[in-house]
Amino acid sequence: MMDDTEKRLAGCFQVVFPGISEATIPTASQATVPEWDSVAAITMVSVIEDEFGVELDLDDLADLDSFEKIHAYVQKRLQVA
Amino acid sequence: MRRTFRYPAMYNQSTVTITEALKIIQGAPADRPSFFVTLACGFTPLHVQTFLAARLQQALPDRKVVVTTGLFGNLAGTVEGIKDPAIDGLAIVLEWPDLDARLDFRSAGAWGSNAAADVVATVKARLDGLLVALSKVPPGVRVGISLPSLPLPPLFHTPGWLASEYDLLLGSEVLNFAAQVAQSGRGAVLNPQRALETSPSSLSFDFKSYLHAGLPYTTTYADQVSSQLALALLPPSPKKGIISDLDDTLWSGIVGEVGPENVTWDIASHNQLHGLYQKLLASLAGSGTLIGIASKNDPGVVSQAFARQDLLLRSESVFPVEVHWNAKSGSVSRILETWNIAADSVIFVDDSPMELAEVAAAHPGIECVLFPKNDIGAGLAMLRRLRDLCGKERVSADDALRLESIRRASAFREQATDGAAPESFLAQAEATLTFDFGSADKPRVLELVNKTNQFNLNGRRFTDAEWRRLASQPEAIVVAVSYEDKFGPLGTIGVVAGAIDGKCLAVESWVMSCRAFARRIEHQTLKMLFENTGVDEVRFDFLATAKNGPLQDFIAAIIGDRPTTEFRVSRDQFDRSCPALYHKVREMRRVEIDG
Repeated sequence: MMDDTEKRLAGCFQVVFPGISEATIPTASQATVPEWDSVAAITMVSVIEDEFGVELDLDDLADLDSFEKIHAYVQKRLQVA
Repeated sequence: MRRTFRYPAMYNQSTVTITEALKIIQGAPADRPSFFVTLACGFTPLHVQTFLAARLQQALPDRKVVVTTGLFGNLAGTVEGIKDPAIDGLAIVLEWPDLDARLDFRSAGAWGSNAAADVVATVKARLDGLLVALSKVPPGVRVGISLPSLPLPPLFHTPGWLASEYDLLLGSEVLNFAAQVAQSGRGAVLNPQRALETSPSSLSFDFKSYLHAGLPYTTTYADQVSSQLALALLPPSPKKGIISDLDDTLWSGIVGEVGPENVTWDIASHNQLHGLYQKLLASLAGSGTLIGIASKNDPGVVSQAFARQDLLLRSESVFPVEVHWNAKSGSVSRILETWNIAADSVIFVDDSPMELAEVAAAHPGIECVLFPKNDIGAGLAMLRRLRDLCGKERVSADDALRLESIRRASAFREQATDGAAPESFLAQAEATLTFDFGSADKPRVLELVNKTNQFNLNGRRFTDAEWRRLASQPEAIVVAVSYEDKFGPLGTIGVVAGAIDGKCLAVESWVMSCRAFARRIEHQTLKMLFENTGVDEVRFDFLATAKNGPLQDFIAAIIGDRPTTEFRVSRDQFDRSCPALYHKVREMRRVEIDG
């Protein structure tokens, strides 16, 4: 079962990668999603900022290369906020 | 290919988020004709591309908007590469790095006094080159340009609170370039002042994002630039008229109480907002916006007020004037009837929310604007809103004729019976119709096609590029119709466009201004088409719209019933139904004949 943050994050993924199936989102990563390039990564940052109202640090962008890592990162930012 | 431009949504929705923009793009109809735009942008175009596509998609809901970008870091090369007339629009987002790499925070070019003069010279040369490249863009491709808005790097010798000569020279070169573009009509330049007001550089420039990812604009600013570029590429139709209240709106004071000599609108009486409003109306009237009055007042007192020499809006610029004690919705009805335009083409301005509500209820679609007599701070926003709604990129000779032709049309209708002018009146009108066969590229022609609703074959609107494609197809025929009679000229009031296919003329667009009704101009136009082209029949690409009843009535009189879809009219059918015509007919660049 996805928690609320995961569900909202999955929605962000669907906006940025409309071609990928809902079932594969939890395991999505730069390695499994061909469309996930540097441009998509920046778009993802803006969409997540829209959705969660938190600012993501571009310095961290290079490490955020999977749904799982982004989920953990967003949860941490939400706790700080 | 049927479509409408949903501009009001673009005005009303001040910002969209990147998520909303992506959803708008993803929701675009894949199976509809594309609207191609090239985005020339020297930096990573990502957000600007997304927002521009979304804003254009909002305006063209039944098209598939495709925004492509040129080479990264090569804005001039992208502009030079526009050769394809099938492209509908070119959006240029110009920034300092496009003009000299030393003005780029991401470049390693040297700063300092030694480089300063050379930077200015390089910027001038690049802008000159861009002007040349713009002059080679195919004529039908509409161009929108956003000028540099990023802060310059601190490379010149002065402290930041002072402008060095180089700062000023760079600004001067850019403005000179922009003025030449605007003057030539080759591009629509976004107003840099407006952009700065809504997004000062502290809110538009994301330094960290630029250094990390090459994205200099904040998402909010990227959306703002994109929305303005979308308006530049798909300019909305200006409102055609303003109906204004008088007391506490056109002037300060209740004229029936204080007397015509004591209503005020000047700075000395602290009522300058009313004076500014008068000046704006006078300016709009000068560029073809119709100005009418709807006031609950004593007509005699109002006449005295309008006789005052210091009034900034002259009575000659106002028609009609509805002054009585009855409901304003009725006044608006009569003014709309006189102007012969629909409520959604008009703005109603009043200081009373109650009057605005009464008019809005009776005339759905009318734009109601509250005159902020008790909130002077809101006055500037109101004045600018009126200019935004009525403003035009250029003013044509026909704009100057509009009010006078409305007056004449009104006098004309007064002599008519049941909407039809008396035969003797038509016979003695000394009317001349001019059919101009070389008019396809005149701005007034497409403007008329895109703003006419009532006598309109199908409501179809065209972009510049689409219009040029239609006009350049094999056997194409585009005719602009102008009218004048002994009372004066109406200017260009009709357009027919189509193509000859053997013994048939296929008409794709036919519009006629409502100012020209009841003069049998439509009959003479159809007669001219048969005679000039030699065809046996005319096929009309008809589509019923909510507003094109007058055209349907005209056709019904020929074919016996209102059409529901494409229809044909034969020469015999037309000849049997055509009434007597009294116009003198001229064909531009052709032998003059009497019709």
